Amino acid sequence: MNEKKVKIVKRDTPGALDLAKKTVFLDFIKGLSITLRYNLSRSITIRYPDEEKWIPYPRFRGAHTLNRDEEGRELCVACELCVKACPTNCITVVPMEDDTGKGIADRVAKVWEVDLARCFFCGYCEDACPTTAVRLGRDYELACFELDKARKTKEELLKPQSVPEDFEGGIIVQAKLQRTKSGIKVKPNLWKKKEKK
Amino acid sequence: MAEKFFFLMFAVVAVGSALAVISLKNPVHSALSLIACLLQVAAIFVLLRSPFLAVVQVFIYVGAVMVLFLFVVLVLNIKKAQLETFPKGRRWFAYAIVPVVGIEFLAVIFGKSFTATGYEAAVEEVKVATLGRALFTEYLFPFEVVSILLLAAMVGAIIMAKKRWD
Amino acid sequence: MVDTAFIVEVIIIWIKVVVVALVLFSMPLALTWIERKVAGHIQVRLGPFRVGPHGILQAFADMVKMLFKEDVIPDRADRLLFKIAPLLMMVPVFAIFVAIPFGDKVTLPFTDRELTLYISDMNVGIIYVLAVSGLAVYGVIFGGWASNSKYALLGGLRSSAQMISYEVVMTFAAVGVVMLANSLSLVDIVRSQSGGFWHWNILYLPVGPVWFFIFFIAGLAELNRIPFDLPEDEGTLAAGYHVEYSGMRFAFFMLGEYVAMVSISALAVVLFFGGWDDPLGPFAFGIPPILWFVAKVMVFIYIFMWIRFTLPRYRYDQLMTIGWKVLIPISMANVLVTGFMRI
Repeated sequence: MNEKKVKIVKRDTPGALDLAKKTVFLDFIKGLSITLRYNLSRSITIRYPDEEKWIPYPRFRGAHTLNRDEEGRELCVACELCVKACPTNCITVVPMEDDTGKGIADRVAKVWEVDLARCFFCGYCEDACPTTAVRLGRDYELACFELDKARKTKEELLKPQSVPEDFEGGIIVQAKLQRTKSGIKVKPNLWKKKEKK
Repeated sequence: MAEKFFFLMFAVVAVGSALAVISLKNPVHSALSLIACLLQVAAIFVLLRSPFLAVVQVFIYVGAVMVLFLFVVLVLNIKKAQLETFPKGRRWFAYAIVPVVGIEFLAVIFGKSFTATGYEAAVEEVKVATLGRALFTEYLFPFEVVSILLLAAMVGAIIMAKKRWD
Repeated sequence: MVDTAFIVEVIIIWIKVVVVALVLFSMPLALTWIERKVAGHIQVRLGPFRVGPHGILQAFADMVKMLFKEDVIPDRADRLLFKIAPLLMMVPVFAIFVAIPFGDKVTLPFTDRELTLYISDMNVGIIYVLAVSGLAVYGVIFGGWASNSKYALLGGLRSSAQMISYEVVMTFAAVGVVMLANSLSLVDIVRSQSGGFWHWNILYLPVGPVWFFIFFIAGLAELNRIPFDLPEDEGTLAAGYHVEYSGMRFAFFMLGEYVAMVSISALAVVLFFGGWDDPLGPFAFGIPPILWFVAKVMVFIYIFMWIRFTLPRYRYDQLMTIGWKVLIPISMANVLVTGFMRI
């Protein structure tokens, strides 16, 4: 038979010091002082859509963006490496020949689409990209009412990002809730920083 | 004038609710009527210039006794309790007792010993200090006897409530 | 027989009653907002923020919501008792304020009429307050029973046992104060403490603080507030006695609880913190006494909220142990000590 060994932990008998602590409600006062300290400290709530917004760090992986070089030419050469690297098959690239100087080479993307409803923002596409054309940006408000809206086309992705690439991030800034016909947007004011503890 | 009006109001409600106590089938409703009745009696005490008695009536009877009473009533099965009125065979006993007690009451009320003497003396409010002094000087012996009686009753109740006595 | 002085007196009492009732009715609106704000800040949140500046209109929004809610009465509930239970809870807590003194006599401007800042100075004031505050338990019991729900019934039973036990404790604390003040009238109790904070009952060493702690713990239990909020214990009873209530009837229960909190705070101030007395005594610099009273009551209300968001809930047997085996023996010993000190 396998006898269970029960270790009996004997409680210390309350000494005079414990009794004294109890009579002056020491633990109680400790607890109250902690909550009072919290009560007087600043709240950590980010009043997100109304007044404040969190701007992520540059390493953040949000919605895709397609970059251009300094002369405004598309960096994408439609090599389709991102399509191959994508674990969820959410990127569609159709190449075409173009020698008008739209891209940096004579091969550009005719179609460059990403389905953000499928994408899980692993960032393999930007690792695979030989020309650093595709980057995961810092936009994170991606909710939409129709599934079609989650497919981002090349034209949309080529627009400049709301937060520039070289902006440091990791801060809370003042923001404004905007109601437009296409939906609700939270427009940050990047230079108005708000301090939080 | 006003006093008479208030007295009649309280008295009518008190008698009405007292009737409700014995005529309502649901024990919880009866308890509620009894609370109303006791509150009316407290109000009549105020009219008799003894606010201390009125407040004690509310404090002890309405605030404590009735709560304990309800505590027991609430855990009863109401549907069962409603059905169990007086057993039918014993009714003749009640019919026999009621006239006797009624005549007795009427005799006391209309008899000579039951007059409202001393009502004039109580026009001023009874001070609590007077009451206390009387209790601890003049009526000290009855007071102590009652205290011991209550203590004995309390001890008895505890012993009866304790199931496993060893 | 009926002269003008009598009529004026009656009218003044009516005005006082109406003013006090209106203030008390509007109090819960402010207190729900304050309570949620205190809760928020203690938990490092902001609390309500969207209705009005800093969410100050939140309580009004809630009230509108409550008014338009469907009034649900459960099937097979006792309809009469279910309907009157919220009123049984509300009426006694309002009645307490008949006896509570907010200030001493003031002379009205432009006339030389003296006005007392209390509705009635009963010579049994403190027993009246204790007796009437004990009646609020009926709202809880009947509300719990009439709902025809086991959670509500258990909540009602718990609260009846709890309130009965702690009423004894609270009465003992009141006995202590009566021994210190030699009077049952709340106005006299306040007057006996006048002349600066070193005359207050809380500083009547060594028994004053003990009486205050006994009173305060009993008050927390009477109010069904954390750490003694077993009648509405969310974890085991959903919401306790008012689990079946909705809409305005639920709001009446809440109203009753908040006004009860104000009444216990006011009572603590009157019994132990000198009522309207200026804490600086002879060095006072002209703050009206009624403001001192309001300020002290507000501090107490904050303390109640502060405790609510600090402590966990006691177990039911612990609650009973604290009441019967700790507080009552301490108060009996304290009655003895106080008696010796007052000889």
